[in-house]
Amino acid sequence: MTAYLIRRVGQAILVVIGVMILTFILIHIEPGNVARSVLGFRATQARVSLFNSTYGLNKSLPAQFWSYVDEIAHGNLGDSLYYQQPVTTLMGERLPNDIVLVGLSTVLALLIAIPMGVYQAVKRGGVADNLLTGVSFTLYSMPTFFLALLLIGLFCVQTHIFLPTAPQVQNWTGLFADPRGIALPVITLALLSVAGYSRYMRSSVIDTLAQDYLKVARAKGLPQRLLLFRHVLRNSLLPIITLVGLSLPAVVSGAVISEDIFNFPGMGQLFFNAATQHDFPILLGSTLLVGVATVIGNLAADIAYGILDPRVRHVSH
Amino acid sequence: MSATETPPVAAAGGRPLPEAGEIATQGSGRLTLSAFARNWQARAGIVIVLVIVCFCFLGPFFYHTNQGVSGLNLNVKDLAPGGNHPIGTDDSGYDVLGRLMVSGQHSLELGFAVAILSTVVGTVYGAISGLAGGIVDGFMMRVLDTLLAIPTLVLLLVLVNIFTPNVLSLIGLIAVLSWLNIARLVRGEVLALRTREFVIAARMMGSSKNRMLWRHLLPNAFGVISVNATFSIADAILYMSALSFLGLAPPPPYTDWGAMMNNGLNDLFDGYWWLVYPPAVLLIITLMGFSLIGDAVRDSLDVRLRRR
Amino acid sequence: MRKIRLAAAILAALTLTAGAAACSGSSGSGSGSSNKGSTAGGVKHTGTVSLAWPATPDFIFPFAPATNTDGYNGNLTNELWPVLTYSGDGGQSIVNPQESLFSSITWAPDDKSFTMVLKSWKWSDGQPITSRDFTFVYNLLKYNWQNWVNYFQGGFPTDVTSVSAPNEHTVVVNLNQAYNPAYYVDTILNEVPLLPQHAWDKESASGAVGNYDETAAGAKAVYAFLQKQGGDMATFATNPLWKVVDGPYTLSQFQPNGTYTYTANPNYSGNKVYMTKVVNEFYTTDVAELDALRAGVLDTGSLPLNDLQQANLLKSEGYSITADDLNAFASVYVNFWNPQVGAVFNQLYIRQAMEDLINRPQIVSKIYSGDADPGNGPVPLNFGSLVSPLEKSGGPYPYSPSTAISLLKSHGWNVVPNGVTTCTSPGTGPADCGAGIKAGQQLSFVYAYPSGVESVNQMEAAIQSWEEQAGIKLTLKTAPFNSLIGTIGTCTQASHPASTCGWQLFNEGYQPYALYPTGNQNFNTNGTYNLGGYSNPEMDTLINDTDYGNNAATFLQYENYAAEQLPQLWLPDSDFINVYKSDIGGFLPGNPFSEAINPEDWYYSS
Repeated sequence: MTAYLIRRVGQAILVVIGVMILTFILIHIEPGNVARSVLGFRATQARVSLFNSTYGLNKSLPAQFWSYVDEIAHGNLGDSLYYQQPVTTLMGERLPNDIVLVGLSTVLALLIAIPMGVYQAVKRGGVADNLLTGVSFTLYSMPTFFLALLLIGLFCVQTHIFLPTAPQVQNWTGLFADPRGIALPVITLALLSVAGYSRYMRSSVIDTLAQDYLKVARAKGLPQRLLLFRHVLRNSLLPIITLVGLSLPAVVSGAVISEDIFNFPGMGQLFFNAATQHDFPILLGSTLLVGVATVIGNLAADIAYGILDPRVRHVSH
Repeated sequence: MSATETPPVAAAGGRPLPEAGEIATQGSGRLTLSAFARNWQARAGIVIVLVIVCFCFLGPFFYHTNQGVSGLNLNVKDLAPGGNHPIGTDDSGYDVLGRLMVSGQHSLELGFAVAILSTVVGTVYGAISGLAGGIVDGFMMRVLDTLLAIPTLVLLLVLVNIFTPNVLSLIGLIAVLSWLNIARLVRGEVLALRTREFVIAARMMGSSKNRMLWRHLLPNAFGVISVNATFSIADAILYMSALSFLGLAPPPPYTDWGAMMNNGLNDLFDGYWWLVYPPAVLLIITLMGFSLIGDAVRDSLDVRLRRR
Repeated sequence: MRKIRLAAAILAALTLTAGAAACSGSSGSGSGSSNKGSTAGGVKHTGTVSLAWPATPDFIFPFAPATNTDGYNGNLTNELWPVLTYSGDGGQSIVNPQESLFSSITWAPDDKSFTMVLKSWKWSDGQPITSRDFTFVYNLLKYNWQNWVNYFQGGFPTDVTSVSAPNEHTVVVNLNQAYNPAYYVDTILNEVPLLPQHAWDKESASGAVGNYDETAAGAKAVYAFLQKQGGDMATFATNPLWKVVDGPYTLSQFQPNGTYTYTANPNYSGNKVYMTKVVNEFYTTDVAELDALRAGVLDTGSLPLNDLQQANLLKSEGYSITADDLNAFASVYVNFWNPQVGAVFNQLYIRQAMEDLINRPQIVSKIYSGDADPGNGPVPLNFGSLVSPLEKSGGPYPYSPSTAISLLKSHGWNVVPNGVTTCTSPGTGPADCGAGIKAGQQLSFVYAYPSGVESVNQMEAAIQSWEEQAGIKLTLKTAPFNSLIGTIGTCTQASHPASTCGWQLFNEGYQPYALYPTGNQNFNTNGTYNLGGYSNPEMDTLINDTDYGNNAATFLQYENYAAEQLPQLWLPDSDFINVYKSDIGGFLPGNPFSEAINPEDWYYSS
């Protein structure tokens, strides 16, 4: 297992570097240059040249990339061209907000999805099961912005239960100052994920219930509820853990559309604005972060699989 | 990561792997059809999809409207349902019912195209990776991870700047993002199936690698592939609607359900309900249809279920 | 949400200013008492109001570096350090006497110099505002104009030969040529604030204040120091430099890319301020801002769409709505130097045909619900006596597809309605397509515009449809604004690189005017905003005459010529719609130059 881990970590580092290189190339492949996007289209050539030399954009691509890597090695992600602030500061302000948002919504989603999945599996084929299936699929099929706006219409415009925009805070603790502000973003994201989690929970529980050893346990006279909690739940949760692990990148990449609609100060907003503004220090920094998160998430998922099925671990490298 | 923020349902490696020692008596493909046909979800899903497809592709023959550039007419914009326009007109004066059909054509074409493209590419990639094993497998999987980790928006914005976003390039782009999951799944299946006794037996009897691939592995992995393909149709359509919202969709005269919804967004609370709810309802129903089918396929593939 | 972003930014830079002066050629008597009439009875002396902005400022020193084009910086600084000439008073397009910083400007008979008397106002730390503050500004800019984003070619301070300050409140400025006083006061002094020399004339935070600005090296050092401080967002609200203001507000809180808050300046020498706390919130999208308005959590905002339905809903929730003209013009830029179609655009009859096909009245009535300037020429109708009879009567190009078709046919084009028109008679004769146009050339253009505003999407789709009637095929290209401008640049005869001059038609939004709607920078050769590189010596002459001469008839002559020449394609310019809580008094009449956002004029009735 240790050798496996070491190997995977080594590969992970290679992947992250690969991601950085690819993103770097992609950003610079865009026609028209960064300077013009930052300065506006009325910038004179003189200003553009000044900009380019200030930010080292007139060096060759490999040279620029190398100096960027050099900066990272010293723990410096550079300064945003638009905000004139260190990328790490900007990300540091927003990342905790996303951790709160995605964390809370995942917890909420699981709180709904797990019991729902178990219930559906146990009552398989019945009316309740089919009804909940319908609900799941409806939620799954909804575009994010549509669900968000429906909820806003219901909870903010028709009634005034929640607030339609998130609090603009610099510190994540401020998000809780008025819970009515983050209620809807959390609920929206949670509802969208419920479908996926509950379907997986449901089929996982069904599979577990069909296991031979459970028949033996039942034959021995163990009560149903004990079965459910002791054996079924524990074993069925593994795919869920895998799913959660794979959604780790969402924490750092943020939820662009939800953040847009709810004006939530998160990484998604930061990233999208940087992408349209060609603010490449932010783009590269975020890519690095997302790359690392993806790799960790995948690693966690694979390890969970390795635990689940030892044969897989043996065959792959 | 995806702009729709739902963990794509088929993303996480699929269902738990079958136990060792299970030998499929009939080919799994054949076994599933009967279970599939009995499943109410499958029937409901297929009916839904067929009805929608007929509505979108055959509808215009019976209900003729001008949805082209020359059909724009501000004089009749935002008319409520009634009279000549059963579902009213939109903010450019197009008949909504007719526009739903044309939009549906584009959405469905996009979905199918993406699904086919990404399934083919992903399956081949995953199968090769799984079969090869060793360093090649490791390398191919890391390349996969790398591509998965590239921020989607960066790709999108590059695209938007290089081409005027048109349908073909968007199909290509979304497919590029979708094949990754299928590849991962297929590889997983291939890895598991490799250890099955019948494959080992076949190898011992001298079967070549390619023959193994086509005769044994693919039919068994078919279930996973088709589940994923079905969900990727839904995901592609959802993804396209997210692009509309972000302002990255193709400009008029292109239209699809996501674009129609996006155009009517600001009117959602104003009483112009026919601008938003009809495309939304159609979109949701269609996606539900696909999801039902996909789920039914997955259910009927599960060997242990059959044993019960 | 304000209209298309960058345009709004430029508007803010040019117009959110504080100053007042008499303006020749303006309408109305300018009695100037804006909206303070009913302050006598029942006004609350404190109040908090929240506003919405689509972007955030990133620089607080009023002279931003040349590379910083964030137009929202003007919004931030104009409430702290107002500019000399404040545009707009009581809804009229005149100089505002209350909020401008000078009490009179007198020009010499040759229009080559003027004497300005400053008001006896004070800075927030109690020190008087003096002419030394003006010379401080002049010195700083004299040595650093290359690094000032609002500097424009040939303007202040490079057009000044000398400045003197005969006494504490008087400044005499000598210019290198004669100017139209209205143009100079309204447009040029509109960019210039006063800065506190007694607090800012230093080269480092801990250094002493001195007269460093009087030498070149010192001026550069002071400017560099102030600019460096000016970009440090973390200290905007705490740096002692920025506490010394002469405007109605001070900055009490600032969050980068977030909310910032003003508190009333108790030592403001102008009219008493009743909104003592102004919270400026940041909304990235229309939708979020609209939702906040609907839920009642935002006090004032703008309506992204000119949509009656929304207005009615908001009214029932306790808001009032106002639609006000903007002193701006909207247009489609035409790239005269595009390699594929530049030669086609060069032909006036082609531009005329394209303009004939734009159904401007229908855009106004159907898309903007009537709340828009009709776009008959370069000058919007609310400029009063500066609007020519030609423009008032609908402009030279009313909607007429048949005229467009016959224009094209008579110049050797094969017109294919709903198809693509092609040139069948190349050459330079009177019935030929024109110089540089080959046989088979198609009238097929790429038309770019920023995404995200629904009414714009509707308009562009409509224009695409109308142009098709004469076989002019427009391929629409839309993307977020910041993505678009990476590939769109200014194109002139001298310089039209392929990377930024591949564009053909571009609708950016609107281009605002100051109090004097000059064509300078818009339609003159090498003008800063002349994106498409329109170049016509006769136009240049006419514009010169309007800026440097003093003849009202000349202006109308220029205006008609520009309207006919179509250096850009004219479009209607929608009003800005403001939404505000009905218990806010003093909101009306709105100042067109600041989109009616003047919290120093507002109050709550008690």
